[in-house]
Amino acid sequence: MATAPKDFRFGNFVGSLIQLIFWILIIVTLVGLPLIFIILFYVPLPPVNGEVLTPYLFFSMMVDPTRTIPIINFMIHTDMFRVAVFPGFSYAALLAAATIFIERKFLAKMQLRIGPLYAGKIEGILQLIADGLKLISKEIIVPSGADKLIFWTAPVAFVVTAAAVVSLIPAAPGWVVADLDVGIVAVFAFLGFFPLIALLFSWASNSKYPFIGGMRALHQMIAFEIPFILSALPVVILAGSLNLTDMANAQYPYWFVFFLPISAFVFYISSLAELERIPFDLPEAESEIVAGWLTETSGMIYGLIQLGTYVKLYALAGLFVILFLGGWAGPQIFPEEIMPGYTGEKIYNATTVNAVFWFTLKTLGMIMLILLPRGINPRIRIDILLHTGWYKLIVLAFINIFVALLLVYGGILGPGGLLST
Amino acid sequence: MTNSAGGFIKAIESGSKHLLIKRFTLRYPEKKLKFVGDGYQFDPKRGVGIAGSRGRHILFHDKCTGCQLCAIACEGIAEAIGMVKVNEQWKHNKKAIMPQIDYGKCVFCGLCVDACPFYALYMTNDYELSSFTKEHLIYTPSQLGIKPKYDGDVELKIGKRGADHG
Amino acid sequence: MGLEIVKETEEDRLMTLSVGPQHPGSGHFRFTIKVDGDYVVYCDPDPGYVHRGEEKMCEYRNFIQNIPHLERPVIHDSTNITYSYSLAVEELTNIQVPLRGQYIRALASELNRQVYTLYWLGIYGIFLGHSTMFMWPVGDRELFIDLLEALTGARVTHAYNIPGGVRNDMPEGFKDRCLRQVAYFEKRLVEYEDIFYNNPLFRQRTEGVGILTKEDAIKLGVTGSVLRASGIPFDVRKAEPYDIYNEIDFKVQYMKTGDSFARSMVPFLDMRESCQIIRTLLDKMPQSGEVRAKLQPNPKGPAGESYKRVESGRGALGYYIVSDGTPKPYRVKLSVGSFRNILALPYLLIGSKLADMPSIYWSLNYWPVEADR
Repeated sequence: MATAPKDFRFGNFVGSLIQLIFWILIIVTLVGLPLIFIILFYVPLPPVNGEVLTPYLFFSMMVDPTRTIPIINFMIHTDMFRVAVFPGFSYAALLAAATIFIERKFLAKMQLRIGPLYAGKIEGILQLIADGLKLISKEIIVPSGADKLIFWTAPVAFVVTAAAVVSLIPAAPGWVVADLDVGIVAVFAFLGFFPLIALLFSWASNSKYPFIGGMRALHQMIAFEIPFILSALPVVILAGSLNLTDMANAQYPYWFVFFLPISAFVFYISSLAELERIPFDLPEAESEIVAGWLTETSGMIYGLIQLGTYVKLYALAGLFVILFLGGWAGPQIFPEEIMPGYTGEKIYNATTVNAVFWFTLKTLGMIMLILLPRGINPRIRIDILLHTGWYKLIVLAFINIFVALLLVYGGILGPGGLLST
Repeated sequence: MTNSAGGFIKAIESGSKHLLIKRFTLRYPEKKLKFVGDGYQFDPKRGVGIAGSRGRHILFHDKCTGCQLCAIACEGIAEAIGMVKVNEQWKHNKKAIMPQIDYGKCVFCGLCVDACPFYALYMTNDYELSSFTKEHLIYTPSQLGIKPKYDGDVELKIGKRGADHG
Repeated sequence: MGLEIVKETEEDRLMTLSVGPQHPGSGHFRFTIKVDGDYVVYCDPDPGYVHRGEEKMCEYRNFIQNIPHLERPVIHDSTNITYSYSLAVEELTNIQVPLRGQYIRALASELNRQVYTLYWLGIYGIFLGHSTMFMWPVGDRELFIDLLEALTGARVTHAYNIPGGVRNDMPEGFKDRCLRQVAYFEKRLVEYEDIFYNNPLFRQRTEGVGILTKEDAIKLGVTGSVLRASGIPFDVRKAEPYDIYNEIDFKVQYMKTGDSFARSMVPFLDMRESCQIIRTLLDKMPQSGEVRAKLQPNPKGPAGESYKRVESGRGALGYYIVSDGTPKPYRVKLSVGSFRNILALPYLLIGSKLADMPSIYWSLNYWPVEADR
């Protein structure tokens, strides 16, 4: 706090407590009680087994498993749950928030210091909430002469596109928000929006440094899209389908990373470039062009763009896991039944929980691998970047396509091969 | 190509090695640094100072004669010392004036300690002098006479897993 | 009628960027550059943002009172900037510094050189986007600041050198502590090499960038590590030895290529050599003795002038003092290395890419406050 706190006076403290209790009483009497009365008078509550439905009966009904589990089962398998909670937005946002915190602590440990420390009781664990509150309370400054429509909608479009990519990533067999037959092509189509959004936003900022940053973002993202697509192509050849769930299922005995290591490497470098992480964070290079295309963002616009970036990080890490690391394959470590002898409908499905566990573990490992270069490398220069993207990575990706074709036509993998089921 | 791959691998190895080294940060204010000795002092007979930390001053009322040499020394540097009348009667301080130091202006250089010929003005280890108003930063001679209590006890230690503070 | 075709002139293609004081890549210094696409075509450094009139202020204070305010231009390297002043005043007032005082002065100067070079290295890392290379040097600086705090009493604003010697003797147990921490620091230097200097990305960014040839270095009058990176082994401590330096044996580190990589490597090699010098000084120091010559209250000397220079972290730092027989100097002229090095900035920056701007600018070892005085 920047202001000096006033001296503590006991009378003021008691007065503030009384005010709090007063307001709670007002709200309960004016809003809560009428609501309860309306429910009790007007809504016809059914008599249960010949008894009137009292609140006590209602609560005891709620904890009865035979009544509540079918409701929960039904709600879990709706589309809304998938979009909002499980492989959809909440899961991605939770992993993104955990990623930001882990990144700060991980980098701090590598740099021999403590990261966030004071927010929250245990070593700064509530730091993100504090940052979010701070960003919400700041004023959003729109530069004069800026194109207001694009300035306000581009960050929202950024988050929307990132969420669209997340919606295609399956987290467990049968658990994907949008099960498209052309899954991987749709992913690349969505990823193609990002350079456009960066360029539009930097143009709409009406300022010199964002302009330079936007041009660099455009060059960088477009240059690395081609090796990105080319390195995913051998996986499609080996799996025989464009659907992401099928690709994860096709890695049953052996993961693709053992057969296609060069492709995995090219995919990793290209995803670092797509995410604008160090060493490829030229569009946001701080010491040369202040903050690149993010210079004029302030307040919640900056918050939205950071959220979009970290959700995209989760999406690309999840994509790497699905394509190369076997998706959710892993030894079954959860027991078949947790309450043996219980007949009736169950929520717990051992294979699903196992799949979710292994998928989350592998994604977190991949995220740590994406966070690692930030502590080790400086920033790269634009001409070296474009040289690497257009020459070296495309050549490496082509080599791997030939390796994949050899494997399929040599009868080792693919349909009818020696090593596939 | 191969030596650049080697360079990358060494960099990754060096970075990952640091995940096992202890953190260097000193967790102030739960832990505070220890200072050797009592503070900077000056011996006018030999003309040389005695090593110590330069924090808040301490004024020995039973030695100060009100000669104003400290105020004159500070006039060219920070003008932080002014002489004020005190309510005490000492035989060696006929004019009954003693220095009052404004820590809003003092730069803690210690040349006033070098100027005092009567062993009356020393410096101590106390550096936590912040306050809420500017007036509270002006320390009167009686405030300067109090010996501070400073109990920091953390030292820089170099061990097998790196250097760290406590 | 209709639309007329406007031809694109040369001026329309250029974009003027003000890398000003409010920029994370420039410190408190402004320079204006004009950019054509990615190439810089015009550069105009504009010092003076932090000018405070140090030289004029010196005329109102006597020789001893000048010390705390003269150390402020380069507060990280404060021992070196007051070292040269003390040498000049001693020549004017005919004071002889005792032997142990000379050794301790050289020791404090070397420790302070490490502190400054580590800070410079940290900022260099962060200009290139390497945040680890900012945290590690700034953390390891604590080792030396801790030693200087035990020796002089203050962490950064030392006010330790004074005409006549140093203000106080070493405390107990200082020699062992110093040797231990310097040995640990030399192990850390190996880590810096691994993660920064041998990192292929860093080398790609700095090798062959901003090449300053030997003849141009002499013509432009640069000094310090910039000069030594272009192949000229000139170090004031060896060429015009002052105090005890004519009895210390050390090698002048220099590199021949003259690009940004050499300019960033020479201070690193200097740091290694400095550790060696610190050990030699602690070895050869006389075990007891005076550290300060006893002075009159307001020292003054006959009218005259003197010029002395010292090797600081940025180059040769000289004082020219004119005295007219009173305790206050008549004129003090402070000649710093940064101001001479910045002349090379437009020369190197024109024709190079915009992305090379941080690596060229900061490798010239420029400290804005010192150049503005």
